This record gives sequence, structure tokens and C-alpha cells, in this order.
Amino acid sequence: MSDLDEFKATYFDECSELLLELEEQFTAIEEGDRDTERMNAVFRAIHSIKGGAGAFGFDKLVEFAHSFETLLDFVRDGRVELTDEVVTLCIRSIDLVADFVGAAQEGEDLSPDFGAEELARFKFLSGEEDETMEEFDIDFTPVMVAVGDDEPIVSDELNSSAEEAGTESDSFEEPPMQDGERYWKIVFTPHYELYERANDPLLLFRELSALGETKIVASITELPELQKFDPFGVYCSWVIELHSSEVKQESIEEVFEFVEGDCELEISRVMADADNDLEPVNLEQANLEQANLEQANLEQANLGQKENIPTKEASETNAENSQSADADLEADEGLSLADLAASIEPAPAPKPEKSKPVVAKVKTPETKAATVQSIRVDLEKVDRVVNMVGELVITQSMLTQQMDDQLRARYQEMVRGVEVLAQTTRGLQDAVMAIRAQPVKSVFSRMPRLVRELASKTGKSIRLEMVGEHTEIDKTIIEQLSDPLTHMIRNSADHGVEIPETRLAAGKPEQGVIKISAEQAGGNIIIAVEDDGAGINRPKVLELARERDVVGPDQQLTDEQIDELVFAPGFSTASAVSDISGRGVGMDVVISNIKKIGGSVHVRSTPGQGTKMLLRLPLTLAVLDVMLVEVGTGPYVIPLSSIVETVLCEKAEFGYAPSGRRVLQIRGEYVRVIDLVERFEMEVNLEEHRRYVVLCEGEGNSKVALIVDKIIGQQQVVIKSLEENFKRIGGIAGGTILGDGNVALIVDVQGLKNTPEQKSAA
Amino acid sequence: MRVLTVDDSPTILSMLRHVLSGAGFEVVQAEDGQKGLDAMKREDFDVVITDINMPVMGGIEFIRNVRASGVNKSLPILILTTETSKEKRDQGRAAGGTGWIVKPFDPEKLISVIHRVVH
Repeated sequence: MSDLDEFKATYFDECSELLLELEEQFTAIEEGDRDTERMNAVFRAIHSIKGGAGAFGFDKLVEFAHSFETLLDFVRDGRVELTDEVVTLCIRSIDLVADFVGAAQEGEDLSPDFGAEELARFKFLSGEEDETMEEFDIDFTPVMVAVGDDEPIVSDELNSSAEEAGTESDSFEEPPMQDGERYWKIVFTPHYELYERANDPLLLFRELSALGETKIVASITELPELQKFDPFGVYCSWVIELHSSEVKQESIEEVFEFVEGDCELEISRVMADADNDLEPVNLEQANLEQANLEQANLEQANLGQKENIPTKEASETNAENSQSADADLEADEGLSLADLAASIEPAPAPKPEKSKPVVAKVKTPETKAATVQSIRVDLEKVDRVVNMVGELVITQSMLTQQMDDQLRARYQEMVRGVEVLAQTTRGLQDAVMAIRAQPVKSVFSRMPRLVRELASKTGKSIRLEMVGEHTEIDKTIIEQLSDPLTHMIRNSADHGVEIPETRLAAGKPEQGVIKISAEQAGGNIIIAVEDDGAGINRPKVLELARERDVVGPDQQLTDEQIDELVFAPGFSTASAVSDISGRGVGMDVVISNIKKIGGSVHVRSTPGQGTKMLLRLPLTLAVLDVMLVEVGTGPYVIPLSSIVETVLCEKAEFGYAPSGRRVLQIRGEYVRVIDLVERFEMEVNLEEHRRYVVLCEGEGNSKVALIVDKIIGQQQVVIKSLEENFKRIGGIAGGTILGDGNVALIVDVQGLKNTPEQKSAA
Repeated sequence: MRVLTVDDSPTILSMLRHVLSGAGFEVVQAEDGQKGLDAMKREDFDVVITDINMPVMGGIEFIRNVRASGVNKSLPILILTTETSKEKRDQGRAAGGTGWIVKPFDPEKLISVIHRVVH
């Protein structure tokens, strides 16, 4: 990755964070919270987006963000009132900024008039004229702007004052000076403020020397007698000769750029042959600053800087010259010792030694210093650590496995060491997982925009509630969560929440509510999307399912089973296919995405009251607690989280349902039986009574009994994708490499329940 | 030479770090004025570069605090800002800013501006 790409990546990361922040702040503002700090935060966010965009030459984004920022600035200081209309404009504009950022990231071009309407509104509201924008454009041309080029006002003043002084400003640019004939003469008189801002004449001289040969003469005629000398007073001025055939006036002015207003400066071209070296011939008053005005800005009488004043003996002195403009100024500044003493007294005596503790001076509370520090790390690096920790976990569990009683008895110390290693490994694993964990907020925050868009498209009134957005999940899972969550919310907005009239007729409030929540429950994260709409229309779902042969004509389904049908592939109950929920491809996408990351989906619906969809997700993707079993001749693993209990077959009670399907009777409950050997088409080579039943819990409390040949034990495995390395196999969720190097397949419990074989076996 | 850079934008901070460490500076970074002050309590710097618009403590207040702390009177502070209006810049200067750098900055220019204010 080139540096620029890396910076861009950082920038886009930053943008997505800032956009989330904007979304969040404006949601609060929309709800009536007009805290000024919120306005400051949104202003800063837009400002930062603009700043970075300027660096990379994203001109359209810069332009839009600039106008947006101007409006926000006006709102912030009260020049523009924050009406509902402005809030709505801002919220829409955040979406547009997101689109601009997205286009910049993808390198796409948006249509030239994209956002033009909003841009016009900004300009109208903030009374911004196009002129400003043009000037702005110049400043933000992609190639970085030279410092100080952006002060046309000053150069205007310059020209006019030069003209007033009766000289042609053009002549500065024309013929470069001939060495020995003409040179630049600079009369420089620093003011008190120059030192206060940590500028240093010596540095300026050093920079002038870089332009050409210099001859610097200090004027110390203002230096008072010793008794009247104020160590922090400003008494010195300088006359500098700059001999160079090339240098232009602009270059000299640039040297003094930072001290403009803090000094008096005369720059003039002088004939070398004329009379005396420093005789003011043709003195062109180029840049006479309004020193007196600046003086009013003098903030404090705490003169700490003045140790910098060069009091070196000047080799030559020329009184006539340096006296010219600054005599009355110095008097004005009131540098009599008495005055200064009076003004210094109340201030603490400045002590330049670094050893003095500064703490007492800083008023902010200590607690702020303890804020969380963070670093940005390439995700790949974290993943590498996660993977290695995963392998470490496996190696460790392999070691533990091989410790039989004999070994334990003989090598006690080693065994203890391995046990400590096991603990440490577990701790390391948790710590690494915590690095990858992120609050689900980053996904949740995208949803308000979605709901707004859906509400306006469907003509419904919908409020979004979010709960538990600080719940943390593995970053990879979060990334996989966005699509399913979007589909679920679309489904709720499109099929769940009713139109206002229907809601009113049903005695519900006009505004529908969609609630998304996240919570941690054991080793899982539960994400729920809930609406207070009409609920799933079961008769209609069943009718459609029969029509499409998803359900057999005689098959009886429980309410719960009917609800789950909405996740069947190619299934949609929308009366008309809408452009929101699409053609029924949505919900089975939810299922497959969630399954891919080891999660499950479940739906519960109450007619007339609403629907609740539950996503159950693993806390982490990388390592899975499993039970290692043997089926046929090979090892398989079953996720421990789905196992309820295990029973020896001879102790289990089997029976047959009226449909002919084999069932397990356990504690008064009948559970469907799946023999993995049959299911995976292998040879049964064990007597039935020596095999085991593994009772697993699928979704919605429905259980399934898997029959396996042997139970080997529990351990942790690192999941490897089958699809990436081989291909997708029904009933198998992935693979893993065991401690002894063998590959074991991970049984997909939920998938087994739903595969067509099961239905045909029924 | 040690530089303290204070900016709330990770993009700008990473670019500054790249340019400055490439030029042989030792770079310390802070995300807002308060953290900048904290850093200055811990160590000394030869020059400070600060943004204006930042959460918690903005650049103007930061500069004021630095200047008020007594020991940093002669520490050069450069204001790093996208503000093209003179208004902000003057506010920064009034608070005690030594000079300024306009974002987006040209790497060479940035270094030369630093050399203009540092011995």
C-alpha cells in the first residue's frame, strides 16, 4: 500500500466514524435536544471531513462540506435559526455527505448536479455568495497549497499603499536586480507581541540569509540607561541589506509573514552607488503595519519572553535611519520602567527553568488526563494474532488430551505447567477477542437513515428505537451483520408496520415502532428486531407455502413453524412485490448470512401485535467450543452451544411418529431423530445400543436428536471455512484441524433440521 | 528535534507523523488540546503544531494554556488549520500562536515553516 493509499484508508475510516457521530448527534437534535455542544460536535465532524477531503482533492466533497459547514457555523452562532426545516436539511445532507464520501472511496463520479439542491439551500440560508466559493476552490486545489498564498487582501493593501507612495508596484517584478547596483533594504522594528508569540528576529535573519548575502545592523539608540533598563523591554531594531539579483519582494515578505502586525517593516530597493550604504534612497513604503491597532490586542502584562532580545553589540549604528518610524511608537508602548513594573507586579514572576512544576497552572481536572488512549492497528495484524492464538489453543488442548494418568503420576511438575499454560492460553484468547470486539452501535447507527427512507417510501410513520448498542461483538461478525439487519428492518417496515389509517382503525398509535436491541446472553449475542405491526399473516403464509410446495398438502404445522416459513427461499408474502423488500430473496439471505457466521435466526409473531425476529450470534468467530464425536470412521465436531445432553442409545427410548418418522421420547417430549451415519451416507458398523444420542437444541426450542457412534470429548477448535477451501456441503458448517492433524467436520445442527432429506424422510 | 502535533483527525495526524518523522523529527501526537497539555506535562518539545477545531479543548484555548504555563513562553506554536479566513488565524495569533500552516499542507513547505520558527 502506498503512503497515499494508507492515508486515504485512514481518512475513510475516520469519515465513517464522523458520519456515525453526525447521525447520532442529529438524531438527538431532531428529538429536540438543542445542546450547543451538539452543534459544536457536528460542526467539527463536517469540518474534519472537509479537511481530509481537501488533502486528497475530493473537490465535490470539499465544496459540499464547505457550504454545509458554513451553514452549521451560522446555526452555531445564532445567525441562522435551527428550525425543523434546517434540521431536516442537515439530516438529508449527512446522507449526501455519506454518498460523496462513498463515491470518493469507490473512485466513482456522481452526477454533476448531485446535491445541488441542498447546496443551493445552504447558500441561501447562510447568505453565502458564489464568490467566496471560488476563492475557496483555489485554496483547495488538489496539489497542496503553499503556506501564505491565501492572502489576497494583504497584497491588495500592499499594492495600493505602494501606489499611494508614488511608486509602481509592477517594477518589483520586472528586472531582477543587478548585483552591486541595487539591493534590498529592510528596516525591521519588532514589537513586544512578536516575542510574546515566540517569534525570534534571529530566525528571521537566518531565513533572509538563505535568500542572499545579508548585512545586518542593529540599532540600539533606543536602549535606555542601565537604571531605566527593563530586561523584558523592546529596544532594538535592525536594518538589513539583502544582496541578491534574484529575490523578489514577495519572498522577503514571506519571511516576515508570521510577524506581520507584530513589527514595523519597510522593504525598499536601494541603489548601491548612492551616497551612503544606508541612506534612504527611493524609500518605498511597502508594508507599513498598523502597529497601534495591534497593540490594543496586548492581552497580558506577563512578560516572560523577553530573554530572547538580542542585546549584542552592534558593529555599526545608524541613528538617522532606524529612528524614522518607530520613535513615537516606542513612546506609545509606554516602556518606562515604572509603568512596566506596575503592570508586571500582579502577575507571577516568570521563571524560565523547566524544572518548575506546571501542574498548578493547568486548571483542568486530573481525571481528564486519564482518558482512554488508543492506537489504530491494521486489522490484518490483529487477525494474525487471533489465528495464532487459535492454533495455540488447539496445541494446548492437544497436550492436555494426551496427559493420561500415568503421565500425570510421573511428571507432576510438567502437568502443572501444562495446566497453567491452559489457563494463560484461555486468558490470552479472551484478551485477543476483546481487541476485536466492537460495539454493535457501528451497525445500529446506520439504521435510522434506513428507517427514514423506508418510512418516506411507504408513506408510513415509523419511529426507531435502539437498545443495547454498546454491546460488543467480534468485528467480523459486526461486518456480517449489516445486511441481515437491513433486510430484517426492511421487512418490518414493509410488511410489519401498517399504514397510519390501518393502525388508527386497529386502535394503535399512528406511528409504528421498530425496536432493535442487542444483548449478551451466555456465549451468544442476541439481536432482536421487533415491530408493533400486524404480525405475520399465518393463513396467507401457509396458503402460499402450499402453493409453492414448500409445505406438503397434508402437512400440519404449528404456528411457530408457519412463522419460520418466512425464511424459506423464494418466499414473500407481500401482496405486491415492492422495491423495498424485493422479491422474497431478502429473508433467506438473512438466514444464509447468519449461518455463515455460526448464528441462527428465529421469528415470533403475535397477530395484530407485531413480530419479533431474533438473531443469535456467537461472541467470536475464530474459536468454537465443541464436542468431538465419531461418525462412521471419521471425527466430527458438534458445537457445544447447541448440545443439551448426551444419552447412551440403550438408555434412550425411541418410538415412531404416525408419519413413520423415528422419534426420541425424552421427559415427555418427542424429538426428531437424525442418524448421522445415515444422513452422511456411511456404513453403520456399530451395534445400535452402543451408540450415543446427542440431544441438540435448534431454533425456537425445537430439539433434534443426533445419533453418533462414539463420543470422544470436548475441546476447542479453530473454524476453517469449507466453502473457501472446498465447497459448501449441506449439514456441515465448516471444518477444523484437530490436534493430531486430522480434519474434522463441524456438524450444522440447524441446517440438518432443514435439509430436504429430512422432509422427504418425514 | 521533538514535535508535538495536536489534531482530532486521525488522517491529519497520520500524515503529519509521516512527513515529520520522514524529516527526522521525533513526533508525539495528541487528539485534543487537553491531551496536548498532558503530553507537555510529561515531556518537553521544540515545536508544537496544533489544529483549531477540536473537541474537549480547542486549539485557541490550548495555546492560551500553553503560554499561561510560564515555562513555554518561547516555545514556537504553529496553528494548523483549514480556515482560510484571517479571523481564525488572528485569534490563534492573539492567543500566542507563532505562525500557521494551511491545510492541506505541502510536506516540504511544512518542514520549511517549522525551520522558520525553530532554532
